Amino acid sequence: MLTLSRFSKAVHLFRTPANRERVQTLRNLDVFHDLTFKEALEVDELLHERVYEKGEIIFEEGDIGHGIFVVVSGRVRVDPSHELLKSAVLEIGPGEMLGELSLFEEAPRFATVVAAERTVMVALLRAEFSSLLTKNTKIGVKVLVRLSSTMCGRVRRLLRGERHTPSL
Amino acid sequence: MNTFRQPGAVTMVVTILITCLVLFLFQKIIWLVVPGLLALMNYYCLRPLVDRLVLRGVRRVWAVAGIVGVILVLTVGIVFLLAPQLLTRIARLQDTVDHYLGGGQNLLRRTIQTLEEVAPVLKRASLDRKMDLQIQQFTDQFADRHLGKLALQLLIWLPSLFLVPYLTYFLLMDSTRLKKFLIRSIPNAFFEKSLLLFARLDESLRSFFQGLLLLTFLDTICLAAGLFVLGVSPALLLGLAAAVLSWIPYLGSALGCIIVVLVAATDFPDRPTIAYICLALFLCVRLLDDFVFLPLTIGRKLHIHPLLSVLMFFLGATVAGGTGLVLALPVLGVMAVAGEIVAQVVMDRRLRSRYRAARDLASAWTTSRDGRSPQLTRNSLD
Repeated sequence: MLTLSRFSKAVHLFRTPANRERVQTLRNLDVFHDLTFKEALEVDELLHERVYEKGEIIFEEGDIGHGIFVVVSGRVRVDPSHELLKSAVLEIGPGEMLGELSLFEEAPRFATVVAAERTVMVALLRAEFSSLLTKNTKIGVKVLVRLSSTMCGRVRRLLRGERHTPSL
Repeated sequence: MNTFRQPGAVTMVVTILITCLVLFLFQKIIWLVVPGLLALMNYYCLRPLVDRLVLRGVRRVWAVAGIVGVILVLTVGIVFLLAPQLLTRIARLQDTVDHYLGGGQNLLRRTIQTLEEVAPVLKRASLDRKMDLQIQQFTDQFADRHLGKLALQLLIWLPSLFLVPYLTYFLLMDSTRLKKFLIRSIPNAFFEKSLLLFARLDESLRSFFQGLLLLTFLDTICLAAGLFVLGVSPALLLGLAAAVLSWIPYLGSALGCIIVVLVAATDFPDRPTIAYICLALFLCVRLLDDFVFLPLTIGRKLHIHPLLSVLMFFLGATVAGGTGLVLALPVLGVMAVAGEIVAQVVMDRRLRSRYRAARDLASAWTTSRDGRSPQLTRNSLD
């Protein structure tokens, strides 16, 4: 049965085709995969889209990190100086995230990340992520679980000595 | 804000100069600045309520519209109910001023007499005669000098209050988009740091405005309770007026105290003790304010040295008169943070060189692109 809320939601969707496409793109990213359309719309408000040219530095080793980056399109290259990271996957593509450690603590980045080609990324700042966790726990938990799961996978692969995407 | 390192001397001087310039400009558009500040205060105080409603499933647009609707109704009510009363009172302002100044004069005369009894040497100074003369001069010329100006100011100010709900609505609806829009114009090299400092500025302003309102509420309650016990009326209105006046640093508190004491002296002409107790009450509330309420609410959000505060008052008053006096500290507080942001971001050599490299890469891409419009690919998510 078509309730008033469903009707208004449908109207809202048709009214904002650009937003719909954009939010759908976000939901395809691993970290936001569990979110409903409405939840992704809320998260989208907090995200900052950045475009990096080939060769442009995204962040440098030693920079104090303040947030996470998710690759939307293009590829980035990780230039680590740590021995442990030399065996890691050094090219990160669409859907992958980087800089997730700085979402939880204000610490220096472990490696320099450079755009390997023209790359579109979305960034989520720690302060905004914290506000999301307190304001909308449901969304916060979904994002947090995805983040943790990705990080667990990376650590597991590292411990097994498999090639892994590094947590930076 | 408290995690910032102390700004350098050059940054501080530039910040003071820009503050003076901003105060000068604000004076010219004060009719817009005051509604803007009130809207900003509303925004920071109502944002948690909007967020809560959104969390409960109400659409943001409805939550904002509902809350702002209530503010609009209140504003319209205040303007339409208060305007005729205020205009009537202004017409009788001379009588009102005479009435309360008479009460104050009486209190002062009694106090001087008591002092003269205690210290006879004061009799020779004939203080009461001089005071009478000065008060007489002030009350005689008050209507001629200030009445027209007051009525004109009121006519200019009241309609601009309608801007408050309008501005509040757009701040509550579009502040995130506005912030994103501003951030978008910041180059990639400075982006992360700017974003962090924006967040800190936002947090500081939020705690400042919310703290200010809480402080006003606590001041009003304490003063109103004290005045009610003493039998001075209208206790709540006087408490609120004194609490709001104390938003003007130093001078506002003194003005609030004078008003309360004048009312007490006029209402109880034969019992000067009540006026003295009111004065003591006011001082107690101020002490409570400075040592208990202020640290608990606003804290030291602005981090301005007392000497700089006083200097800024003089500069503000010289550059922008009364407006400068009232807005000097808040504007300096915001400018200090903004100055710190610019200093930290722009003066960082590593970030600057990263920015230059990125600019070169962007221009190289523009020149070598194969007929594609860069805008189409740049904003691929839009």
